[in-house]
Amino acid sequence: MDRLKIADREFISRLFIGTGKYASNAVMSQAIAASGTEMVTVALRRVDIENENDDLLAAIDRNKYLLLPNTSGARDAQEAIRLARLARAASGIAWVKLEVTPDPYYLLPDGTETLKAAEVLAKEGFVVLPYINADPILAKRLQDVGTATVMPLASPIGSNQGLKTRAAIEIIIEQATVPVVVDAGLGLPSHAAEAMEMGADAVLVNTAIAAAQDPVMMAAAFARATEAGRLAYLAGPAGASRQATASSPLTGFLRGS
Amino acid sequence: MTQVLRINGVEREFPGEALPETLSDLLNALEICHATVVAEIDGRIVERKDFVATRLTAGQAIELVRFVGGG
Repeated sequence: MDRLKIADREFISRLFIGTGKYASNAVMSQAIAASGTEMVTVALRRVDIENENDDLLAAIDRNKYLLLPNTSGARDAQEAIRLARLARAASGIAWVKLEVTPDPYYLLPDGTETLKAAEVLAKEGFVVLPYINADPILAKRLQDVGTATVMPLASPIGSNQGLKTRAAIEIIIEQATVPVVVDAGLGLPSHAAEAMEMGADAVLVNTAIAAAQDPVMMAAAFARATEAGRLAYLAGPAGASRQATASSPLTGFLRGS
Repeated sequence: MTQVLRINGVEREFPGEALPETLSDLLNALEICHATVVAEIDGRIVERKDFVATRLTAGQAIELVRFVGGG
């Protein structure tokens, strides 16, 4: 059985789902179920005291889905560490998607601050899944300080542009000793399949599903694409060539004498 | 005398003796469900199991956070 192991957990599904931007908790729950995922990301925010809103966690069955709190909103290592500690107190588990995004326009991650925070959190026993630029050197540095994965971006968060960083992610996959999760920017199931065909260990998708006209159907589409890409990778793709190579026999034609 | 707590960045005034005695009392007064919240008082995390035992004093900065949808 082909399983993905991150820290001490095994996953059958290689599709991780973000819970942002859904029209309702009910649609989110159905999309999560349709995706077959076993891990969902959540964010931590101040309680709106004047407007008690409904509880996200009530819509997520924690016996089925591992919560992966993120540190979104953190602009430096210190803020990310604070959020990670709060998330641990809130969730009771020490898994964290580490993201430090000081740039509000492209939401690109700050590698230096991410590395600093990762080192501190890994020492505190966190299972750290860092969101990073597709930077093979940074990926190495992070795994050296004890992160459980590396999660390079395909393109900017929520942009649905697909695998703009393909060449760099190939190098990361070639060199990494921890699982590589392609995160951010995957806009279509074909993008997820492409990442998996390249040998990524998993993909993380939010906007492409949540913002689709039918998020539940799109979640199912991403599930199949992720699985198809993984199978294709394991099957060992046939090589590409510039010239045609005939698929049918080149003898026994019905012509000539 | 009016006493003040800074809650999620906003100052709230509690006239006379109305300052909640514990963090748990504060959450009840704000009608916030304990089970989904985690708190930080003056930068120190307070775990849910300690809400009842955590006494409040005027002037504290309290952060009340919870999980929301996110990617």
